[in-house]
Amino acid sequence: MTAPAARPGFAAAVTGLGLVSPAGIGVAENWARICSGVSTAARDPALAGLSVDFSCRVPGFDADALLGRRRAWRLDRVAQFAVVAAREALADAGLAGTDPEGGARGDTGEVRPEWDDARVGVVLGSGIGGAGTWEEQHRRLLDQGPRQVSALLIPMLAVNMIAGYVAMDCGARGPNFVTSTACASGTTAIGVARELLRSGACDIVLAGGAEACVIPSIVTGFSQMGALSRRADDPAGASRPFDAGRDGFVAAEAAAVLVLERPEHAAARGARVRAYVSGYGASADAHHATAPDPGGRSVERAMRAALLDAGITPEAVAHVNAHGTSTPLNDDIEGKVIHRVLGDAPAVTSTKGVTGHALGAAGAIEAAYTVLAVENSIAPPTANLDSQDPDIPVDVVAKEARNLRIPAAVSNSFGFGGQNAVLVVTAT
Amino acid sequence: MTTVYERLSDLLVTKFGVSATEIEPDATFEELELDSLALVEVAMAVQEEFGVDIGDSELTPKHTMTSAVEVLTANGVSV
Repeated sequence: MTAPAARPGFAAAVTGLGLVSPAGIGVAENWARICSGVSTAARDPALAGLSVDFSCRVPGFDADALLGRRRAWRLDRVAQFAVVAAREALADAGLAGTDPEGGARGDTGEVRPEWDDARVGVVLGSGIGGAGTWEEQHRRLLDQGPRQVSALLIPMLAVNMIAGYVAMDCGARGPNFVTSTACASGTTAIGVARELLRSGACDIVLAGGAEACVIPSIVTGFSQMGALSRRADDPAGASRPFDAGRDGFVAAEAAAVLVLERPEHAAARGARVRAYVSGYGASADAHHATAPDPGGRSVERAMRAALLDAGITPEAVAHVNAHGTSTPLNDDIEGKVIHRVLGDAPAVTSTKGVTGHALGAAGAIEAAYTVLAVENSIAPPTANLDSQDPDIPVDVVAKEARNLRIPAAVSNSFGFGGQNAVLVVTAT
Repeated sequence: MTTVYERLSDLLVTKFGVSATEIEPDATFEELELDSLALVEVAMAVQEEFGVDIGDSELTPKHTMTSAVEVLTANGVSV
Protein backbone atom coordinates (compact mmCIF):
# COMPACT_ATOMS: atom_id res chain seq x y z
CA MET A 1 0.00 0.00 0.00
CA THR A 2 1.24 3.46 -0.79
CA ALA A 3 0.18 6.53 1.13
CA PRO A 4 -2.70 8.46 -0.40
CA ALA A 5 -1.77 11.66 -2.22
CA ALA A 6 -1.80 14.86 -0.19
CA ARG A 7 -5.21 16.47 0.04
CA PRO A 8 -5.82 19.99 -1.18
CA GLY A 9 -4.64 22.51 1.39
CA PHE A 10 -6.96 23.92 4.00
CA ALA A 11 -6.26 27.02 6.06
CA ALA A 12 -8.51 27.40 9.09
CA ALA A 13 -8.80 31.07 10.02
CA VAL A 14 -7.94 31.97 13.60
CA THR A 15 -10.38 34.78 14.31
CA GLY A 16 -10.25 34.83 18.10
CA LEU A 17 -7.97 33.96 21.02
CA GLY A 18 -8.59 33.53 24.73
CA LEU A 19 -5.91 32.74 27.31
CA VAL A 20 -5.80 31.88 30.99
CA SER A 21 -2.32 30.84 32.03
CA PRO A 22 0.43 31.41 34.57
CA ALA A 23 1.49 34.25 32.25
CA GLY A 24 -1.78 36.02 33.01
CA ILE A 25 -5.49 36.19 32.35
CA GLY A 26 -6.14 37.54 28.87
CA VAL A 27 -4.22 37.61 25.61
CA ALA A 28 -2.47 40.97 26.13
CA GLU A 29 -1.17 40.08 29.58
CA ASN A 30 -0.02 36.66 28.32
CA TRP A 31 1.86 37.98 25.31
CA ALA A 32 3.66 40.66 27.33
CA ARG A 33 4.83 38.08 29.88
CA ILE A 34 5.82 35.54 27.21
CA CYS A 35 7.89 38.15 25.39
CA SER A 36 9.57 39.19 28.65
CA GLY A 37 11.01 35.71 29.08
CA VAL A 38 10.56 35.81 32.86
CA SER A 39 9.52 32.52 34.45
CA THR A 40 6.29 32.29 36.45
CA ALA A 41 7.33 29.34 38.62
CA ALA A 42 7.10 29.90 42.36
CA ARG A 43 6.66 28.06 45.63
CA ASP A 44 3.10 26.80 45.92
CA PRO A 45 1.41 26.71 49.36
CA ALA A 46 -1.03 24.05 48.08
CA LEU A 47 1.94 21.69 47.59
CA ALA A 48 3.64 22.39 50.93
CA GLY A 49 5.33 19.35 52.40
CA LEU A 50 5.58 17.45 49.12
CA SER A 51 8.87 16.45 47.53
CA VAL A 52 8.22 19.08 44.84
CA ASP A 53 6.52 22.16 46.30
CA PHE A 54 6.57 24.67 43.44
CA SER A 55 4.49 25.16 40.31
CA CYS A 56 3.21 27.69 37.80
CA ARG A 57 -0.23 28.99 38.82
CA VAL A 58 -2.68 31.28 37.08
CA PRO A 59 -2.15 34.50 39.08
CA GLY A 60 -5.16 35.91 40.89
CA PHE A 61 -7.78 33.70 39.27
CA ASP A 62 -11.08 34.62 40.96
CA ALA A 63 -13.79 32.52 39.38
CA ASP A 64 -16.58 34.19 41.36
CA ALA A 65 -15.52 37.60 40.04
CA LEU A 66 -14.94 36.42 36.47
CA LEU A 67 -17.96 34.16 36.02
CA GLY A 68 -20.30 35.08 38.86
CA ARG A 69 -20.67 32.86 41.91
CA ARG A 70 -23.88 31.37 40.51
CA ARG A 71 -21.99 29.87 37.57
CA ALA A 72 -18.61 29.36 39.21
CA TRP A 73 -19.52 27.13 42.17
CA ARG A 74 -20.78 24.31 39.95
CA LEU A 75 -17.61 24.09 37.86
CA ASP A 76 -14.27 22.51 38.57
CA ARG A 77 -11.37 24.92 38.16
CA VAL A 78 -10.54 23.29 34.81
CA ALA A 79 -13.96 24.18 33.37
CA GLN A 80 -13.79 27.64 34.93
CA PHE A 81 -10.55 28.24 33.03
CA ALA A 82 -12.08 26.95 29.80
CA VAL A 83 -15.21 29.10 30.06
CA VAL A 84 -13.19 32.24 30.84
CA ALA A 85 -10.88 31.58 27.89
CA ALA A 86 -13.81 30.81 25.58
CA ARG A 87 -15.58 34.05 26.49
CA GLU A 88 -12.45 36.06 25.72
CA ALA A 89 -11.92 34.22 22.44
CA LEU A 90 -15.51 34.83 21.32
CA ALA A 91 -15.30 38.51 22.18
CA ASP A 92 -11.97 38.72 20.33
CA ALA A 93 -13.61 37.14 17.28
CA GLY A 94 -16.44 39.65 17.31
CA LEU A 95 -18.84 36.94 18.47
CA ALA A 96 -19.48 38.14 22.01
CA GLY A 97 -23.23 38.19 21.51
CA THR A 98 -25.39 40.88 23.02
CA ASP A 99 -28.88 41.07 21.58
CA PRO A 100 -31.41 39.32 23.82
CA GLU A 101 -33.77 38.43 20.97
CA GLY A 102 -33.57 35.99 18.07
CA GLY A 103 -30.71 33.80 16.91
CA ALA A 104 -28.76 31.31 18.96
CA ARG A 105 -29.09 31.36 22.70
CA GLY A 106 -26.65 30.14 25.28
CA ASP A 107 -27.74 29.86 28.88
CA THR A 108 -26.15 33.21 29.60
CA GLY A 109 -28.93 34.61 27.43
CA GLU A 110 -26.58 36.10 24.87
CA VAL A 111 -27.47 35.86 21.23
CA ARG A 112 -25.19 35.51 18.24
CA PRO A 113 -26.96 36.09 14.94
CA GLU A 114 -23.54 35.81 13.22
CA TRP A 115 -23.56 32.04 13.55
CA ASP A 116 -25.71 28.98 12.89
CA ASP A 117 -25.45 27.41 16.34
CA ALA A 118 -25.81 23.83 15.04
CA ARG A 119 -22.66 24.37 12.99
CA VAL A 120 -20.50 25.65 15.85
CA GLY A 121 -18.35 22.96 17.44
CA VAL A 122 -16.32 22.84 20.64
CA VAL A 123 -13.22 20.62 20.73
CA LEU A 124 -11.00 20.98 23.76
CA GLY A 125 -8.08 18.91 24.98
CA SER A 126 -7.49 17.86 28.56
CA GLY A 127 -5.26 15.21 30.04
CA ILE A 128 -6.86 14.72 33.42
CA GLY A 129 -10.11 16.70 33.73
CA GLY A 130 -11.56 17.85 37.05
CA ALA A 131 -8.92 16.26 39.24
CA GLY A 132 -9.17 18.87 41.99
CA THR A 133 -12.81 18.00 42.57
CA TRP A 134 -12.04 14.31 42.59
CA GLU A 135 -9.31 14.71 45.19
CA GLU A 136 -11.52 16.88 47.39
CA GLN A 137 -14.61 14.70 47.16
CA HIS A 138 -12.63 11.52 47.68
CA ARG A 139 -11.32 13.03 50.89
CA ARG A 140 -14.91 13.79 51.94
CA LEU A 141 -15.91 10.20 51.19
CA LEU A 142 -13.12 8.85 53.38
CA ASP A 143 -13.45 11.40 56.18
CA GLN A 144 -17.19 12.11 56.32
CA GLY A 145 -18.90 9.26 54.49
CA PRO A 146 -20.84 8.89 51.26
CA ARG A 147 -23.69 11.23 52.15
CA GLN A 148 -21.32 14.19 52.23
CA VAL A 149 -20.10 13.66 48.65
CA SER A 150 -21.24 16.28 46.15
CA ALA A 151 -23.88 15.30 43.61
CA LEU A 152 -21.82 17.38 41.19
CA LEU A 153 -18.76 15.13 41.55
CA ILE A 154 -19.25 13.46 38.16
CA PRO A 155 -20.12 16.56 36.09
CA MET A 156 -17.21 18.39 37.72
CA LEU A 157 -14.73 15.54 37.27
CA ALA A 158 -15.54 13.98 33.90
CA VAL A 159 -13.10 15.15 31.26
CA ASN A 160 -15.77 15.61 28.55
CA MET A 161 -17.62 18.21 30.63
CA ILE A 162 -15.05 20.90 29.88
CA ALA A 163 -16.31 21.15 26.30
CA GLY A 164 -19.88 20.58 27.48
CA TYR A 165 -19.81 23.56 29.83
CA VAL A 166 -18.25 25.82 27.19
CA ALA A 167 -21.13 24.93 24.85
CA MET A 168 -23.70 25.58 27.58
CA ASP A 169 -22.13 28.94 28.27
CA CYS A 170 -22.20 30.20 24.69
CA GLY A 171 -24.90 28.11 22.98
CA ALA A 172 -22.63 26.23 20.54
CA ARG A 173 -24.73 23.27 19.43
CA GLY A 174 -22.47 21.51 16.92
CA PRO A 175 -20.08 18.59 17.51
CA ASN A 176 -18.72 18.72 21.04
CA PHE A 177 -15.98 16.60 22.59
CA VAL A 178 -12.72 16.45 24.47
CA THR A 179 -9.51 14.98 23.11
CA SER A 180 -7.12 13.34 25.54
CA THR A 181 -3.58 12.70 24.35
CA ALA A 182 -1.76 13.64 27.55
CA CYS A 183 0.53 16.61 26.97
CA ALA A 184 -0.51 16.82 23.30
CA SER A 185 -4.26 17.08 24.08
CA GLY A 186 -4.69 20.74 23.17
CA THR A 187 -2.79 20.31 19.91
CA THR A 188 -4.81 17.26 18.99
CA ALA A 189 -8.00 19.24 19.69
CA ILE A 190 -6.98 22.03 17.33
CA GLY A 191 -5.91 19.56 14.63
CA VAL A 192 -9.18 17.66 14.81
CA ALA A 193 -11.22 20.87 15.03
CA ARG A 194 -9.65 21.98 11.77
CA GLU A 195 -10.78 18.71 10.19
CA LEU A 196 -14.38 19.50 11.22
CA LEU A 197 -14.08 22.76 9.31
CA ARG A 198 -12.33 21.14 6.38
CA SER A 199 -15.02 18.46 6.03
CA GLY A 200 -17.73 21.12 6.05
CA ALA A 201 -19.34 19.78 9.23
CA CYS A 202 -18.82 23.09 11.04
CA ASP A 203 -18.48 26.78 10.23
CA ILE A 204 -16.77 27.62 13.51
CA VAL A 205 -15.04 25.49 16.13
CA LEU A 206 -13.91 26.69 19.53
CA ALA A 207 -10.71 24.70 19.87
CA GLY A 208 -8.06 24.53 22.55
CA GLY A 209 -7.52 22.92 25.89
CA ALA A 210 -7.71 23.23 29.64
CA GLU A 211 -5.90 21.67 32.58
CA ALA A 212 -6.03 22.38 36.30
CA CYS A 213 -4.45 19.50 38.14
CA VAL A 214 -1.74 21.17 40.18
CA ILE A 215 -2.96 19.26 43.23
CA PRO A 216 -1.04 17.09 45.70
CA SER A 217 -1.98 13.68 44.28
CA ILE A 218 -1.21 14.49 40.66
CA VAL A 219 1.96 16.45 41.35
CA THR A 220 3.17 13.61 43.55
CA GLY A 221 2.46 11.17 40.73
CA PHE A 222 4.63 13.17 38.33
CA SER A 223 7.26 13.59 41.01
CA GLN A 224 7.43 9.84 41.68
CA MET A 225 7.93 9.31 37.94
CA GLY A 226 10.98 11.53 38.13
CA ALA A 227 9.50 13.90 35.56
CA LEU A 228 9.60 17.10 37.65
CA SER A 229 12.44 19.51 38.26
CA ARG A 230 13.89 19.26 41.77
CA ARG A 231 15.28 22.76 41.78
CA ALA A 232 13.35 23.65 44.94
CA ASP A 233 15.86 26.27 46.05
CA ASP A 234 15.33 28.20 42.81
CA PRO A 235 11.79 27.68 41.48
CA ALA A 236 12.08 30.57 39.01
CA GLY A 237 15.08 28.85 37.40
CA ALA A 238 13.54 25.37 37.39
CA SER A 239 11.87 25.37 33.98
CA ARG A 240 14.86 25.77 31.65
CA PRO A 241 14.14 24.12 28.29
CA PHE A 242 17.17 23.25 26.14
CA ASP A 243 19.54 24.46 28.86
CA ALA A 244 22.41 22.24 29.91
CA GLY A 245 21.24 22.45 33.53
CA ARG A 246 17.64 21.30 32.96
CA ASP A 247 16.36 18.51 35.20
CA GLY A 248 12.62 18.15 34.62
CA PHE A 249 9.43 20.11 34.04
CA VAL A 250 7.44 22.40 36.32
CA ALA A 251 3.72 21.57 36.59
CA ALA A 252 1.37 24.31 35.45
CA GLU A 253 -2.33 25.01 34.91
CA ALA A 254 -3.93 26.89 32.03
CA ALA A 255 -6.53 27.09 29.30
CA ALA A 256 -6.60 28.52 25.81
CA VAL A 257 -9.36 28.73 23.24
CA LEU A 258 -8.90 29.58 19.57
CA VAL A 259 -11.89 30.49 17.45
CA LEU A 260 -11.25 28.55 14.25
CA GLU A 261 -13.40 29.33 11.28
CA ARG A 262 -13.81 28.23 7.68
CA PRO A 263 -12.02 30.96 5.75
CA GLU A 264 -15.12 31.67 3.62
CA HIS A 265 -17.21 32.03 6.76
CA ALA A 266 -14.71 34.42 8.33
CA ALA A 267 -14.55 36.46 5.12
CA ALA A 268 -18.33 36.61 4.73
CA ARG A 269 -18.77 38.21 8.14
CA GLY A 270 -15.75 40.44 7.73
CA ALA A 271 -13.87 38.89 10.63
CA ARG A 272 -10.29 39.89 11.39
CA VAL A 273 -7.97 36.90 10.81
CA ARG A 274 -4.95 36.71 13.12
CA ALA A 275 -3.32 33.77 11.29
CA TYR A 276 -4.22 30.38 9.82
CA VAL A 277 -3.90 26.85 11.13
CA SER A 278 -2.76 25.28 7.87
CA GLY A 279 -1.33 21.90 8.77
CA TYR A 280 -1.66 19.09 11.28
CA GLY A 281 0.30 15.90 11.71
CA ALA A 282 -0.01 13.17 14.34
CA SER A 283 1.73 9.94 15.17
CA ALA A 284 2.42 7.41 17.91
CA ASP A 285 5.79 6.22 19.17
CA ALA A 286 4.35 2.79 20.08
CA HIS A 287 7.37 2.54 22.33
CA HIS A 288 6.93 3.13 26.09
CA ALA A 289 4.44 4.51 28.62
CA THR A 290 6.42 7.58 29.54
CA ALA A 291 9.79 7.58 27.77
CA PRO A 292 9.99 9.00 24.25
CA ASP A 293 11.36 6.89 21.42
CA PRO A 294 15.07 7.75 21.62
CA GLY A 295 15.37 8.04 17.84
CA GLY A 296 12.42 10.44 17.63
CA ARG A 297 11.26 8.73 14.43
CA SER A 298 7.55 9.15 15.11
CA VAL A 299 7.98 12.73 16.24
CA GLU A 300 9.73 13.33 12.94
CA ARG A 301 6.88 11.71 11.02
CA ALA A 302 4.34 13.94 12.75
CA MET A 303 6.35 17.04 11.85
CA ARG A 304 6.76 15.97 8.23
CA ALA A 305 3.05 15.09 8.01
CA ALA A 306 2.10 18.54 9.26
CA LEU A 307 4.36 20.23 6.68
CA LEU A 308 2.93 18.05 3.92
CA ASP A 309 -0.61 18.82 5.05
CA ALA A 310 0.20 22.53 4.97
CA GLY A 311 1.78 22.18 1.55
CA ILE A 312 4.94 23.99 2.62
CA THR A 313 8.61 23.15 2.44
CA PRO A 314 10.83 23.11 5.54
CA GLU A 315 12.50 26.34 4.34
CA ALA A 316 9.24 28.26 4.87
CA VAL A 317 9.31 27.60 8.63
CA ALA A 318 10.88 30.55 10.43
CA HIS A 319 9.82 29.74 13.99
CA VAL A 320 9.15 26.66 16.11
CA ASN A 321 7.23 26.71 19.36
CA ALA A 322 8.83 23.56 20.69
CA HIS A 323 7.34 21.08 23.11
CA GLY A 324 10.52 21.83 25.11
CA THR A 325 9.44 20.53 28.50
CA SER A 326 12.82 21.01 30.20
CA THR A 327 13.16 17.27 30.77
CA PRO A 328 16.58 15.90 29.77
CA LEU A 329 15.22 13.38 27.26
CA ASN A 330 12.49 15.37 25.53
CA ASP A 331 14.56 18.41 24.77
CA ASP A 332 17.51 16.38 23.49
CA ILE A 333 15.41 14.25 21.15
CA GLU A 334 13.19 17.11 20.03
CA GLY A 335 16.13 19.42 19.30
CA LYS A 336 17.70 16.79 17.08
CA VAL A 337 14.46 16.07 15.24
CA ILE A 338 13.79 19.78 14.62
CA HIS A 339 17.27 20.03 13.15
CA ARG A 340 16.75 16.95 10.99
CA VAL A 341 13.44 18.20 9.61
CA LEU A 342 13.93 21.97 9.45
CA GLY A 343 17.68 22.54 9.51
CA ASP A 344 19.48 25.46 11.17
CA ALA A 345 17.22 28.28 10.11
CA PRO A 346 14.16 28.45 12.39
CA ALA A 347 14.16 30.43 15.62
CA VAL A 348 13.17 27.84 18.22
CA THR A 349 11.39 28.79 21.45
CA SER A 350 9.98 26.85 24.34
CA THR A 351 7.46 29.09 26.06
CA LYS A 352 7.39 26.52 28.89
CA GLY A 353 10.38 28.36 30.34
CA VAL A 354 7.87 31.08 31.24
CA THR A 355 4.65 29.09 31.77
CA GLY A 356 5.85 25.72 33.01
CA HIS A 357 4.17 22.65 31.56
CA ALA A 358 0.39 22.97 31.48
CA LEU A 359 0.02 19.33 30.41
CA GLY A 360 -3.18 18.87 28.38
CA ALA A 361 -3.54 22.64 27.96
CA ALA A 362 0.08 23.16 26.92
CA GLY A 363 -0.50 22.59 23.21
CA ALA A 364 -3.46 24.97 23.25
CA ILE A 365 -1.68 27.89 24.91
CA GLU A 366 1.36 27.27 22.71
CA ALA A 367 -0.77 27.27 19.55
CA ALA A 368 -2.11 30.64 20.72
CA TYR A 369 1.45 31.91 21.31
CA THR A 370 2.44 30.62 17.87
CA VAL A 371 -0.44 32.55 16.31
CA LEU A 372 0.69 35.68 18.17
CA ALA A 373 4.30 35.12 17.07
CA VAL A 374 3.27 34.87 13.42
CA GLU A 375 0.86 37.79 13.68
CA ASN A 376 3.35 40.10 15.43
CA SER A 377 6.54 38.90 13.69
CA ILE A 378 8.15 38.10 17.03
CA ALA A 379 9.83 34.92 18.24
CA PRO A 380 9.65 35.08 22.05
CA PRO A 381 12.63 34.05 24.19
CA THR A 382 13.10 30.82 26.12
CA ALA A 383 13.32 31.65 29.82
CA ASN A 384 16.35 30.50 31.78
CA LEU A 385 18.40 29.59 28.73
CA ASP A 386 21.75 30.50 30.26
CA SER A 387 23.85 27.80 28.72
CA GLN A 388 22.36 25.89 25.80
CA ASP A 389 22.95 22.14 25.87
CA PRO A 390 25.75 21.63 23.29
CA ASP A 391 24.06 18.43 22.09
CA ILE A 392 21.00 20.37 20.94
CA PRO A 393 21.83 21.63 17.45
CA VAL A 394 19.16 24.29 16.88
CA ASP A 395 18.94 28.07 17.20
CA VAL A 396 17.08 28.54 20.48
CA VAL A 397 15.93 32.10 21.15
CA ALA A 398 17.46 33.23 24.44
CA LYS A 399 17.16 36.29 26.67
CA GLU A 400 15.25 38.61 24.36
CA ALA A 401 12.39 38.35 21.92
CA ARG A 402 13.55 38.39 18.32
CA ASN A 403 11.87 40.37 15.56
CA LEU A 404 11.54 38.36 12.41
CA ARG A 405 9.05 37.81 9.64
CA ILE A 406 7.35 34.44 10.18
CA PRO A 407 5.50 33.21 7.07
CA ALA A 408 5.05 29.81 8.72
CA ALA A 409 5.62 28.39 12.19
CA VAL A 410 5.39 24.96 13.75
CA SER A 411 4.03 24.09 17.20
CA ASN A 412 5.09 20.70 18.58
CA SER A 413 3.41 18.66 21.32
CA PHE A 414 4.40 15.21 22.47
CA GLY A 415 2.39 13.34 25.09
CA PHE A 416 3.13 10.51 27.45
CA GLY A 417 2.12 7.30 25.78
CA GLY A 418 4.03 8.44 22.73
CA GLN A 419 1.18 10.54 21.35
CA ASN A 420 2.57 13.24 19.07
CA ALA A 421 0.76 16.16 17.45
CA VAL A 422 2.13 19.03 15.38
CA LEU A 423 0.47 22.13 13.96
CA VAL A 424 1.56 24.49 11.21
CA VAL A 425 0.47 28.11 11.59
CA THR A 426 0.79 30.45 8.62
CA ALA A 427 0.57 34.21 8.21
CA THR A 428 -2.35 36.00 6.58
CA MET B 1 -34.26 38.12 65.47
CA THR B 2 -33.00 36.41 62.35
CA THR B 3 -35.60 34.13 60.84
CA VAL B 4 -35.09 30.76 59.13
CA TYR B 5 -36.13 32.44 55.90
CA GLU B 6 -33.40 35.06 56.23
CA ARG B 7 -30.73 32.51 57.10
CA LEU B 8 -31.71 30.33 54.14
CA SER B 9 -31.65 33.40 51.86
CA ASP B 10 -28.18 34.34 53.08
CA LEU B 11 -26.96 30.81 52.44
CA LEU B 12 -28.28 30.82 48.87
CA VAL B 13 -26.69 34.19 48.17
CA THR B 14 -23.27 33.59 49.68
CA LYS B 15 -22.70 29.94 48.81
CA PHE B 16 -24.67 29.51 45.61
CA GLY B 17 -24.50 32.95 44.07
CA VAL B 18 -28.26 33.46 43.89
CA SER B 19 -29.08 37.12 43.46
CA ALA B 20 -30.69 38.54 46.62
CA THR B 21 -33.20 40.48 44.55
CA GLU B 22 -34.56 37.27 43.03
CA ILE B 23 -35.30 35.62 46.34
CA GLU B 24 -38.99 35.99 47.20
CA PRO B 25 -41.34 33.88 49.29
CA ASP B 26 -42.97 32.44 46.14
CA ALA B 27 -39.76 31.90 44.14
CA THR B 28 -39.10 28.22 43.42
CA PHE B 29 -35.62 26.71 43.53
CA GLU B 30 -36.03 26.04 39.82
CA GLU B 31 -36.56 29.74 39.22
CA LEU B 32 -33.41 30.41 41.24
CA GLU B 33 -31.52 28.02 38.90
CA LEU B 34 -31.07 25.39 41.58
CA ASP B 35 -31.70 21.99 39.97
CA SER B 36 -31.86 18.63 41.72
CA LEU B 37 -28.08 18.21 41.69
CA ALA B 38 -27.58 21.65 43.16
CA LEU B 39 -30.19 20.88 45.85
CA VAL B 40 -28.11 17.94 47.10
CA GLU B 41 -25.40 20.53 47.68
CA VAL B 42 -27.92 22.90 49.27
CA ALA B 43 -29.05 20.13 51.63
CA MET B 44 -25.43 19.62 52.74
CA ALA B 45 -24.97 23.35 53.25
CA VAL B 46 -28.21 23.45 55.26
CA GLN B 47 -26.90 20.64 57.42
CA GLU B 48 -23.75 22.61 58.11
CA GLU B 49 -25.58 25.89 58.71
CA PHE B 50 -28.52 24.62 60.77
CA GLY B 51 -27.14 21.35 62.13
CA VAL B 52 -30.08 19.29 60.88
CA ASP B 53 -29.98 16.38 58.49
CA ILE B 54 -32.26 17.01 55.52
CA GLY B 55 -32.97 13.93 53.42
CA ASP B 56 -31.62 13.81 49.87
CA SER B 57 -35.01 14.30 48.26
CA GLU B 58 -36.77 16.52 50.76
CA LEU B 59 -35.93 19.69 48.85
CA THR B 60 -37.06 19.64 45.22
CA PRO B 61 -36.83 22.18 42.40
CA LYS B 62 -40.57 22.83 42.83
CA HIS B 63 -40.22 24.00 46.44
CA THR B 64 -40.68 27.69 47.02
CA MET B 65 -38.70 29.60 49.61
CA THR B 66 -41.77 29.51 51.87
CA SER B 67 -42.32 25.77 51.52
CA ALA B 68 -38.60 25.11 51.93
CA VAL B 69 -38.67 26.98 55.24
CA GLU B 70 -41.57 24.70 56.23
CA VAL B 71 -39.43 21.65 55.42
CA LEU B 72 -36.60 23.02 57.55
CA THR B 73 -38.97 23.84 60.39
CA ALA B 74 -40.48 20.36 60.24
CA ASN B 75 -36.93 19.00 60.58
CA GLY B 76 -36.47 20.90 63.81
CA VAL B 77 -34.98 24.22 62.70
CA SER B 78 -36.47 26.97 64.82
CA VAL B 79 -34.49 30.15 64.18
